[in-house]
Amino acid sequence: MTAAKNFFEKHKTLALVLGIAVLLVLPQLTRSNYIRGVLARIIVYATLASGLNIINGYSGQSCLGIVGFTCIGAYSGALLTTKLGLPFLASLVLTLALCAAAGFIVSLPTLKLNGMFLSIITLGFSEMMRLIALNWQKLTNGPLGIKGIPNVHLFGWKIKSGAPFYYLALAALLLVVFVLNRLLKSRVGRAWIAIREDQDAARSLGVKVSHYRCINFMTGAMICGTMGVFIAYYYRYVSPDMFSLDEGFNVLSMCVVGGSGTLFGPIAGAFVINLLTEGFRFASEWRMVMYAVLIITMMWVRPQGLFGAKDSVIAGQISWKNLFARKKKEDGDVDHIGS
Amino acid sequence: MYIIQQLINGLSQGSIYALMAIGYTLIVGVVGLITFAYGEMVMIGAMSAYLFYTYVSPNFFLGILVAFAASGIAGIFIHKVAYERFLEAPKHIALLCTVGCSILIKNLAQIAFGSQGNAMPMAFETRPFYLFGTDLYITTIHLAVIAIVLVLSVGLSLFLYKTRVGLMLRAVSQDKMASSLVAINVKKVTLIGNVVGTGLGGVAGLLYGTYLTNVSTVFGTVVGLKAISACVLGGMTNIPGAALGAVLIGILENFGIALFTSSYRDIFAFIFVFIALTFRPEGLFVFRFGRKKKGGK
Amino acid sequence: MSIILEAKGVSKHFGGLKAVEQVDMQVKEGSIFGIIGPNGAGKTTFFNLCSGTYKVTSGQILFGGQDITNLPPEEVAKKGLIRTFQNIKLFQYLSVLENVKVGCHINTKTSVLDAIFHTKTYHQDEEYATRKAEKVLEEVGLTEYRDWKAGNLPYGYQRKVEIARALAAEPKVLLLDEPAAGMNPAETWSLLEFIQKIRDKGHTIVVIEHDMKFVMNLCDHIMVLSFGEKICEGTPDTVKNDRNVQEAYFGRGIIQKSNELSQEGA
Repeated sequence: MTAAKNFFEKHKTLALVLGIAVLLVLPQLTRSNYIRGVLARIIVYATLASGLNIINGYSGQSCLGIVGFTCIGAYSGALLTTKLGLPFLASLVLTLALCAAAGFIVSLPTLKLNGMFLSIITLGFSEMMRLIALNWQKLTNGPLGIKGIPNVHLFGWKIKSGAPFYYLALAALLLVVFVLNRLLKSRVGRAWIAIREDQDAARSLGVKVSHYRCINFMTGAMICGTMGVFIAYYYRYVSPDMFSLDEGFNVLSMCVVGGSGTLFGPIAGAFVINLLTEGFRFASEWRMVMYAVLIITMMWVRPQGLFGAKDSVIAGQISWKNLFARKKKEDGDVDHIGS
Repeated sequence: MYIIQQLINGLSQGSIYALMAIGYTLIVGVVGLITFAYGEMVMIGAMSAYLFYTYVSPNFFLGILVAFAASGIAGIFIHKVAYERFLEAPKHIALLCTVGCSILIKNLAQIAFGSQGNAMPMAFETRPFYLFGTDLYITTIHLAVIAIVLVLSVGLSLFLYKTRVGLMLRAVSQDKMASSLVAINVKKVTLIGNVVGTGLGGVAGLLYGTYLTNVSTVFGTVVGLKAISACVLGGMTNIPGAALGAVLIGILENFGIALFTSSYRDIFAFIFVFIALTFRPEGLFVFRFGRKKKGGK
Repeated sequence: MSIILEAKGVSKHFGGLKAVEQVDMQVKEGSIFGIIGPNGAGKTTFFNLCSGTYKVTSGQILFGGQDITNLPPEEVAKKGLIRTFQNIKLFQYLSVLENVKVGCHINTKTSVLDAIFHTKTYHQDEEYATRKAEKVLEEVGLTEYRDWKAGNLPYGYQRKVEIARALAAEPKVLLLDEPAAGMNPAETWSLLEFIQKIRDKGHTIVVIEHDMKFVMNLCDHIMVLSFGEKICEGTPDTVKNDRNVQEAYFGRGIIQKSNELSQEGA
């Protein structure tokens, strides 16, 4: 296991190419359209979890209501195509802008407050979006939802569900990961991680915490919002109960189980959780119980998740380390006074 | 007239929220971490009281004890799972644990009892009293709810300010480190605080069920959000502030229903909190004495 | 030499506690200024006031003639006043090099779009930050640890990384909060030389320290705080022989006794 790990750490490009190759071949291994559909859904969720991971893994805050944005995105995608007849790409761009605006507004009250307020605000926001979708009958058709969303048409191709949609989702996932990777390896990403690891130190070096938190949250919101459009086109139907808090916790558990604070973690988490979901389909009601137990177990055993950032604040060791450092320092003080 | 009637309704509903908010704020203060499992504690209180009234005895006051005990026991569970190990750790760990507990409890309850609404057995007759010969009325339920909440609040403040354990609770909520230095068992005290807080939530659940004459296993989330909202309005650890915030939310909701439509009821409170946090991040009912305003030079 | 950092009657009260009371300070450009005092004298609080972490109760702080009173820490940093912390605050998850690169934050301006599209600004900034960080790391002698996770370094090295990170921001004034804490005498000595070297490069340095020998050898000018008030100020020799300072450190009784003893002996 460790040998394999070392190998991949050494040959990152190779691992990347290998991973992408596996993802490309995956839907060709089966003839069942059902399994291809499941695979496509996994990719959509992986992107969603990646978006959430940007907030939970790179800002030191926990967003609990990410599907609020997915809800906005899905409804905007569905309405733009069914009411205005806009093509897929156009509604994608419009939704991106809409979700950026929504993300900005939602982040406003939390910027100057400590992390737990973001959890409160986002949880409430998610529930609010669902209730609006449920009750704004004229626009959203209430609990019945919006039906009749057409297939995706892209550059004159009709992208059917199954394998073609899988590749479309995969393209989105790779694009998201590519963009996030570039962000994280830049001044912006360093500022995010600096804020996550130690806010005071980051501020003392001139990093504007509220500014970067806002950008961070908006990035996550935009990714999750656009995935809403994908979800709308995937099911070709949207309804309010697709965006309940449980759904948000589902995505959250992907992030938590796979691991926050790395790009690979949430993708792995999406595979693990979705395969569990499929495998335990017979256990229908017990599924949420399983997620709950998984989240708690992860927090107890490995707070950073299976593939998470293990040396970071996320892993929860920091406080012990700090305690240790302070103890050491006090000893040091005593020495100096004595000398 | 109609507006005054809404005010009366809002007051009695707000006092139920106040009880939840008091419990919630007590937990936040003593444990030092927020919880997302509180709504489920409220739900457990309501469901256990419903089961007790239906299958054991229709005695209203015994039901209160049962609700308190059931939620208190659930509080011990939450403490063991989410807090005990993580008092020193980064906050998001305990927070996600409480989210896990919330999902766990909600779904177990749904598996056991279904998610349908159940009619809450009425412990006493509902009768409206008309005020001053007008068509304004206040029902026995309104009165009972307000009375019980008042009694419990007074009881809690006696407990906090007149007993040794109460003193320890207040000490721990101010400074855990200093408390442990004066030989207070912090883990035990946080456990007690947590149990009292969740117990109060359970009683609030019973009252909520009685007020709406309906209980189910699914109303926890929304109600929990209201408790959190009230707590935020009060400034997180300020118990009277949270109670005031809760009453305000109750009144606001009833006006909201009167002005718009009842289907948006659960949103009003939250929009209010959202606006309040944007403009007064330290909480609505936190007054700073003798200090300059933020940003003043 | 002109005065670069100045405090005028700065006070900070926490409720009834007067942590810092009416402190005046003038730091000359290019000097090494020491702040000493017994535990709880308000040294770190005073630092926090200068760097904007706390808001002052009254008084004024000037930096290069500009009023920086109550500016948020990030704005203060932008003006060129960078600090380190008493209990080291490194970004544990980032590598040593990346830690120092964060120090270049205020002197670079890559935005989200720059980062995504790898524009000219991005390349310039990355090149600048990398070069700057490597240079600073070489100066503090940590080049070989550049790819270590900062949290895994030994304690003494972590202090150095923190100083390196602050230096990468090209500060006009560098505030060091107990830089020698937890170091052994040899390390302390090399730190002293290092700080002098930084000063010679044109940085002004303000340092809080417990270790008297360290401060006396390092600083040009020393201010002594006790219970939030300034009790003495001057060159190391003035401070060494000041009666108030001795009392603050050893207590009045002991001083009297030792004086009596020495008189008896004579």
